[in-house]
Amino acid sequence: MATTASAPPATPQLKGVQPLRAGEGNSFLWRRLHSLTGIVPIGAFLIEHIVSNFEVVNGPLAYAQQVKFLNGLPLVRVLEWGLIFIPLLYHALYGVFIAVRGRTNVNVYPWAGNWMYLSQRVTGLIAFAYILYHVLTQRFMGVSLPEHPGLAYAKVQFELLSHWYAIPVYVIAMIATCWHFAYGIWLFAAKWGITPGNVARRRFGWVCTIGGAVLCIMGLVSIFTVAYSRPYSPEDVMPAQYDNVVAPTVPPQQ
Amino acid sequence: MPTTIEVEIKRQNGPDGTGAVENFSIPYRPNMNITSLLGEIALNPVTKEGKATTPITYDSNCLEEICGSCAMLINGKARMACSALVDKMLEEGGGKIKLAPLSKFPVVRDLAVDRAVLFENLKKVKAWVPIDGTYDLGAGPKQAPQIQEERYPLSNCISCTICMEVCPQFNDVTNFVGAATIGQAKLFNMDPSGSVLKEERLRALSGDGGVQECGFAQNCVQACPKGLPLTEAISDIGRDVFVQKVKDFFRA
Repeated sequence: MATTASAPPATPQLKGVQPLRAGEGNSFLWRRLHSLTGIVPIGAFLIEHIVSNFEVVNGPLAYAQQVKFLNGLPLVRVLEWGLIFIPLLYHALYGVFIAVRGRTNVNVYPWAGNWMYLSQRVTGLIAFAYILYHVLTQRFMGVSLPEHPGLAYAKVQFELLSHWYAIPVYVIAMIATCWHFAYGIWLFAAKWGITPGNVARRRFGWVCTIGGAVLCIMGLVSIFTVAYSRPYSPEDVMPAQYDNVVAPTVPPQQ
Repeated sequence: MPTTIEVEIKRQNGPDGTGAVENFSIPYRPNMNITSLLGEIALNPVTKEGKATTPITYDSNCLEEICGSCAMLINGKARMACSALVDKMLEEGGGKIKLAPLSKFPVVRDLAVDRAVLFENLKKVKAWVPIDGTYDLGAGPKQAPQIQEERYPLSNCISCTICMEVCPQFNDVTNFVGAATIGQAKLFNMDPSGSVLKEERLRALSGDGGVQECGFAQNCVQACPKGLPLTEAISDIGRDVFVQKVKDFFRA
């Protein structure tokens, strides 16, 4: 009896790790989007945030004016949601997804790059937990700063001084966030093929280290300045200004 | 000078067997490597406790780090058995050597694993030069020495899968393709004849488990026994895949 031999499958059924799904799926897009959102807009916002906060060294009024200026940007709520909250939430959630899919093995292979791989996941999770707390308490709870920029300094100072754990939490989170950002830029350049060579990567490593350290120091200086440089005062340094100036009336046309 | 070599080997009867550990005590000779140590066990397969057992199954062929078949976990780390020297491994393991099969590949038996996933991946990215035809295609284009120099290190890949074993992203959740395949894609993309398949290779590597799964832990380049510039290849291919995807998006 003749039987027809069926062709063997093009891809045999394998146990364990499966072969590449050549050209299938959209994970390349999502992963690159995760990488890109970390630089713009989130990284750009982080720099803006730390630089703006550094205004606290010039006192409550300077800080209040900075807060007022930012809240006076055109379409500020659209900017806030479109360039901060939504990209940040995507970057954070997809980052958790990436982190849980890795199988870290620094216990077996304790090499520098491997430690940095782990550190990027740990600092990312620390930053995510902190940012949730930070946004909730500083943006959506307590006195609303967009309406009362004059209370910005007092609100942050109260936050830092009212709980014993606040300053340690802010310091750890500042270091973790700057670390994650600095190494994130380095990873971005490496993965997108901007720094393929070892020498280029090492040089760019120094750039990222110095940039991250400067940001981190500015952030830490801001934290300690707000907390300890002057006594707490719950006074609005820039109360709503009611102007009594009246525009001249147009003279009646002849 | 030790008189015996203490070896602890993780054994497994077959693909579905359960793991078991056996200990061996081998008379010491200087200058052995792990494959010759396994050969000594095969000469007299008796455990340390005096129980007769079967010889250890393991893959090996060339014994000079060229065939790529004898990768295994030696003292917990992925290494080639042929180039792992017993004297060094004893020193590292505190007078004892531990052997186990690679942890991310299905065990065939004992220290032999099925590394078919690498060969499937190489097929997926068409890691070859397409010169087969029904007639003589003639001589290929000349290859500039600068291209040869850049390609040569990548051509040293021996498909040992150590880069994949040590990679935190290479696992059964991500199904990451691994550094070796990405390196070979770059090797053949740079070949004047092989570059005809460049776009297909790049599109393949943008699929699920492709180059984007790399977390840049750089273990691959640290562990590679042949010193391949794997991180450089991943970086270059990452850029090329991105450019290809952008081109495809606007051409579609």
